[in-house]
Amino acid sequence: MSAQTAGPETLGHLSEEPPAPDPSSKDAKAIAGKSPMQIALGRLMKDKIAVVCAIVALFFVIIAVFAGVIAGLFGVTLDPGRPSQVLDFSTQLPKVGPPNNGFDPEHPFGIAPQTGADNLAHWLYGCRTSLIIAGSATLVASVVGVVMGLLAGFLGGIVDKIISFVIDFFLTVPFLLAALTIAPIINDRFALYESYPTIQRWSLIAILAIFGWMGLARLVRGEVLSLREREFVQAARVIGMPTHRILIKELLPNLAAPIVVSVSLTLPAFVALEAGLAFLGIGVTSGASWGQTVSDAVPWFDKYALYLWEPLLGIVLLVLSLNLLGDAIRDAMDPKTRR
Amino acid sequence: MFAYLVKRLLSGVVVVFLVSLSIFLLFWFGPSSPAQPICDRDTSNRCTPERLANFEENLGYNNPWYTEYGTFVKGVFVGREIQFGSTKKFDCPAPCLGYSYRTKTPVFEEMKERMPATFSVALGGAALYLVLGIPIGVAAARRRGTVADKALVSSFLVLSSVPYYLFALLTWLFLTVQWEIPLFAETGYFSFTENPAKWFSGLLLAWIALGIFGCTQYTRYARGSMVEALSEDYIRTAKAKGLAQSKVVYKHGLRAALVPVVTIFGIDFGTLLAGTIFTERIFDIDGIGFWSLQAVNGRDLPVVSATALFSAIVLIFSNLIVDLIYSVLDPRVRLS
Repeated sequence: MSAQTAGPETLGHLSEEPPAPDPSSKDAKAIAGKSPMQIALGRLMKDKIAVVCAIVALFFVIIAVFAGVIAGLFGVTLDPGRPSQVLDFSTQLPKVGPPNNGFDPEHPFGIAPQTGADNLAHWLYGCRTSLIIAGSATLVASVVGVVMGLLAGFLGGIVDKIISFVIDFFLTVPFLLAALTIAPIINDRFALYESYPTIQRWSLIAILAIFGWMGLARLVRGEVLSLREREFVQAARVIGMPTHRILIKELLPNLAAPIVVSVSLTLPAFVALEAGLAFLGIGVTSGASWGQTVSDAVPWFDKYALYLWEPLLGIVLLVLSLNLLGDAIRDAMDPKTRR
Repeated sequence: MFAYLVKRLLSGVVVVFLVSLSIFLLFWFGPSSPAQPICDRDTSNRCTPERLANFEENLGYNNPWYTEYGTFVKGVFVGREIQFGSTKKFDCPAPCLGYSYRTKTPVFEEMKERMPATFSVALGGAALYLVLGIPIGVAAARRRGTVADKALVSSFLVLSSVPYYLFALLTWLFLTVQWEIPLFAETGYFSFTENPAKWFSGLLLAWIALGIFGCTQYTRYARGSMVEALSEDYIRTAKAKGLAQSKVVYKHGLRAALVPVVTIFGIDFGTLLAGTIFTERIFDIDGIGFWSLQAVNGRDLPVVSATALFSAIVLIFSNLIVDLIYSVLDPRVRLS
């Protein structure tokens, strides 16, 4: 803590923020205090790549939220198509639209071979599936990670030992194989249920979250270990603040940076994993999913490449923009980097 | 050192035990009967409750879970007999991981057959990680701040942000399907002892895809730790006493810079050995990863649990070996 903040009038000022400027001085505005988050945001706004990536990511979020509305505007639905009417009998390729017949306004993205379903509707709802699953899993994993990290770091002792062991244990289990192991159990049990698609999505969120919280928990634990020895935590203890209040009011705000960085890098990883699992046939198998469409489109690549490119570019653009945005956020949050 | 080794081995054994127990319990207490898949398969999907009960009885699912887990563990060490249906009895010699529901052969035998494929993929891919990653990283570190360095760093950042399986899929689609390059015409695993040339060309594309994608990470590590090493005092001393530039970089700089890279490499190699599922699926390589994927789709529970156990063991021991090597490479690290 610097000499400035040690004065008696700043006693209530225990965070890292600089003291409020003296309102009577002339250049009070020029040295206005900024929270670390504001500084990071300012740096982020100056980063052109980050702004572009944020716009791309926002575009996908809008598509995901308004998938139904947009599909309605184009007049397309997820309904199974009528293969006998729209597909060529011998080649199984669509009679209208790409790949052989140019643009078809009724199906802007074309029609899927074999099933005759509309590609645009599947693409729009696939975006929704992807972001809902990845977003919820990120949320759950982050909450679990923060709680576990806080408890392990702050309570120490036996709690720390147990949580650390659980973290190490989960880290030795390879994610993909764990997902492979759990998938048949869920499929066997619920395959005949009417709500199977919903159950499948929930279980996917659970699997992603169960194997995605350890990194953040470790990070938070390490931070808490050093934070809990600091004066403001000791002061809070001395004045008799209950533990849960210390954790939430004193420690959590200081952990904002690692949490934000972790969330922004977990989200693209989960989007990629969700599509990857669907590609392997163990993720979302009913309903629209980009990964599943990629898997369906592979055999058609030489005749109907567009069918593959649509979902593939969706995944690549979304993951790429989220990843680069996450990297930019990490740089902006880190006071050591100078751009 | 010896005490540390014993301690680590013991904790590794505990984790393997826990992993095998969790897999076992997952199937045991899972929402559907563990005998359901084999009952469906053996009765061509006409599995009546009586038949299911028969299978459950024979496979021991009516006993308490701890006695059955004991039987499983005992089978791993001394072997056991497995009974499917009412009449057929199979002898399963140690190490017995059960019988495959689909092929009715011992799981361990099948695993042994598929290990060379996964091992070949992992070995070639991991070799390319280092062969490509380290020289590129060192070259970038020596030209730090130049346009070439910046272009390389940002293009590798973009490449590593693309999901690996899509990169591998596009490599296969373009090189094998679209352009039909003869060298990559037939991807897959062919026995090395029978036809080394075919083995090489079948796996080459998988290695290239793995290597190019993985080397981006190694370039970043190698560049980072090389930049750090080159700014050390002893490098300045070496330069000041008039050593040749190449000697300064490779003998003094690279040696120090490689230590952290080696650790990461060990863990990555272990992860590859534990199962290259996407690579094997995309390039049609019949290894452990592809096998486990087939087992999942065929609901072959003994195979699924065996592959999960196998990969956990590989990961645990590769971590242990990495820690040991690290202490040899870096004298500052003391194992305790």
